[in-house]
Amino acid sequence: MDQASSALLSLRGISHAFGANRVLKAVDLEVNAGEVLALAGENGAGKSTLMKIIGGYLPPQSGDVLWKQAPLPEGLRTVEDAGITLVHQEFALIPDMTVAENIHLGREPRKWGLIDRARMHRQAREALGLLNAEISPGAGLARLPVASWQIVELAKAFAARPHLLLMDEPTAVLGRDEAAALFDRIRAYTTAGGTVIFTSHRLDEVREIADRVAVLRDGQITLNKPIQDVSEHDIASAMVGREMSDLFVPRITPVVARPVLEVEGLDVPREIGAPVKDASFALYPGEILGVAGLVGAGRTEMFEGLVGLRPAHARRFALSGKDQVLPCAREAWQCGIAYLTEDRKSRGLLLDKDLLVNATLVSGALFGGARIDRRADAADFDAARARFDIRAAGPATTAGQLSGGNQQKLLLAKTLATDPQVVILDEPTRGVDIGAKSQIYRIIAKLAEQGKAVVVISSEMPELIGLAHRILVMDRGRISGVLTQPEDGQISEHEILRLGLGLENEEDAA
Amino acid sequence: MSDETVSDERVKSLSIAQRFLMRPEMGSFCGVILVIIFFLLIASDNGMFNLDGVRNWSVVSAQFAIIAVGACLLMIAGEFDLSVGSMIGFSGMVLAITNVHFGYPMWVGIIAAFVFSVALGAFNGFLVIKTKLPSFIVTLAFLYILRGLTIFMSVTTTSKTILSGMKPAAEADWLAPIFGGEAFKFAFTWMAEKGWIDTFSRGSMEGQPVVSGVPALILWAIGLVIFGQFVLTRTRFGNWIYASGGDAHAAEYAGIPVKRVKVLMFMFTAFCACIFAMCQVTEFGSAGADRGLLKEFEAIICVVIGGALLTGGYGSVIGAGLGAIMFGVVQQGLFFSGAESSLFRVFLGSLLLIAVITNTYIRRRIIGAGD
Repeated sequence: MDQASSALLSLRGISHAFGANRVLKAVDLEVNAGEVLALAGENGAGKSTLMKIIGGYLPPQSGDVLWKQAPLPEGLRTVEDAGITLVHQEFALIPDMTVAENIHLGREPRKWGLIDRARMHRQAREALGLLNAEISPGAGLARLPVASWQIVELAKAFAARPHLLLMDEPTAVLGRDEAAALFDRIRAYTTAGGTVIFTSHRLDEVREIADRVAVLRDGQITLNKPIQDVSEHDIASAMVGREMSDLFVPRITPVVARPVLEVEGLDVPREIGAPVKDASFALYPGEILGVAGLVGAGRTEMFEGLVGLRPAHARRFALSGKDQVLPCAREAWQCGIAYLTEDRKSRGLLLDKDLLVNATLVSGALFGGARIDRRADAADFDAARARFDIRAAGPATTAGQLSGGNQQKLLLAKTLATDPQVVILDEPTRGVDIGAKSQIYRIIAKLAEQGKAVVVISSEMPELIGLAHRILVMDRGRISGVLTQPEDGQISEHEILRLGLGLENEEDAA
Repeated sequence: MSDETVSDERVKSLSIAQRFLMRPEMGSFCGVILVIIFFLLIASDNGMFNLDGVRNWSVVSAQFAIIAVGACLLMIAGEFDLSVGSMIGFSGMVLAITNVHFGYPMWVGIIAAFVFSVALGAFNGFLVIKTKLPSFIVTLAFLYILRGLTIFMSVTTTSKTILSGMKPAAEADWLAPIFGGEAFKFAFTWMAEKGWIDTFSRGSMEGQPVVSGVPALILWAIGLVIFGQFVLTRTRFGNWIYASGGDAHAAEYAGIPVKRVKVLMFMFTAFCACIFAMCQVTEFGSAGADRGLLKEFEAIICVVIGGALLTGGYGSVIGAGLGAIMFGVVQQGLFFSGAESSLFRVFLGSLLLIAVITNTYIRRRIIGAGD
């Protein structure tokens, strides 16, 4: 209890669930003034939820948050006024406003009741200068690349002068120099008495900047120690908590065959961030190709361009050796290319429609007649339900009622209902629990075994390493390399990161 | 520090021409110049640009401008109001019934009309916020409800749909001339005496200036445009309007009272509609249950031509004002040049299309070329 009373922030038994999915299970955590705490953990471990609870965005379903020994006030605004600021993983910025306006949003400096633009620009310039960023305060945000958005978001957070700064994956879209500038800023901030909690996937960053590291796994703290007392291996095993091999099916080496799909010189323009430029690759039957890269590297865009979901241009596109033009979305389905979206909720499923409708949407649209054959649909659905182990009351349940994992399995069922030859899966395990994850891995391995060409786009490196035969890495819109699993081991996370951060061809990029 | 200023210049490297093209007002500004040149060429012989003619289209433009200011701020805040036209009919009828039927003085009716319409605007906004339905649907419902109520109200109380004969009452009232009167009459009389402006040469008005003053309507329009632009660009609240429409979620995260901002904008839109109605009723001395038909769309067209995005978060009150001028010029220009008046609608629709297409195209070009 003595120790508790000195902490700046203490969490006592915080639990939170989204539907049936228990994200946090009685988490206890304490943070002292002036320290940098790294919160590590796999995707879906509950890091972001915990951050949102501390930041006042989500009230905890049970447990207490004590801020300076008193209960945390309720409401976003009051929490901010109390000195806690959260930098979201998703941007909370307004594209049509300028950089300076965004930095001061809701806290506009005033002179005689009017907005003091001169002061606003001066303060914004200072805040950006402290992050060593070359961004003009008067620039419209929409014109800037993603990395600049993140810097603006960070400048905005520091400008609020919080006592406790929460940063959710602050470096995910930053380059090396920008990340280094951020770490300098964090050091200056903590020296001046500030406190930081940040989440990161990158263990090297955790080691570089954190004083203490806490690891979350499946909603529980599995490690909480000063950084000098732990090795990267300790952190990694606390994160995973099991041998990764348990989750994955052993890889079967595909028979050497001609590529099913070849693309050369694929260009996909983008509104925000670097466009995908001059991408060339081939997909082989029975092979799982992993696609890695940082958020904003253009992975999703590249494949959306390939399957006709956004405007794209390719020098050459061939299916089973036959040259043809890039397909539109309907043609892509018809020639056996299936794409599973990363955006399950808004693009993947009709959440307020029942499971039957969802599962047969694609196959019906492509191969059905004018009249919907309800009996055939019902039979198809029953088969899919068994094959993908969709746990639901019945075909009349609406998709929105399912848990994340079952929704994802339903989406897989829908996508695979057309028996495609090329299967592109974008973040197939995002937001699903461990059990469903391992089922999905089995489904993916099975697809490859049946001779389909499979693409898995994922932000989780262990997933890519565990599943893929080859891993294609993207960096700022370009393919920066393709790694092949070595005979006697596995591709390392380090190799992927090196390519993904553009360390290989720094000169080209600049 | 010197490094930083250099790099700022690099990021800022937009030419003056590009920056002008980036302004939301650009389209409507060019449009106004184009239509004025066009009608100068074809209709100036018919007196469109002498004093009387200018007064003529300025009044029409001012009418558009008054409702466009409200619609503009509301659209920037991310919402629509389709009930503006019905609101005009409704508030005019409230004034007429209190005055003609119940016999209260004009000022009582005017205050009643403002109270009712602003309250209805608040209710509109409240419904949109509470139900989280698109404002399109909610205000579409009010388009019908209010129009129906207006007709019902006037028929059951007076068995008429047009109430007239309020002119003397309006002229005698202390509040009504603010809406229906004319300003700077002395200046016009003086200019007429000096022979600088035309005077009537025959009839009972002989010797009087052709234009006797600036209609209050025009002053309201100018005042509202200045007020709107000032609030939008110079005050913290203006920033909040932009933010609420730009990304309501992000704005809420930044602690902006998005709901309050939106409801206030609905109230302001209703307020503008009521000003429009008050000017109309007090000037002509009559109110009709069918007044204001289609005004909501005309207001939205002015705003969109003025460069605002239908999705919110971007736009300019000055632009909307220029859009209104363009409309007034076109409508009266077609009249002066003797063209078939039905062509006005064709013109309106075409202008809207051209404006939106060029606006979007230029915006995309510039944003795309930015990085």
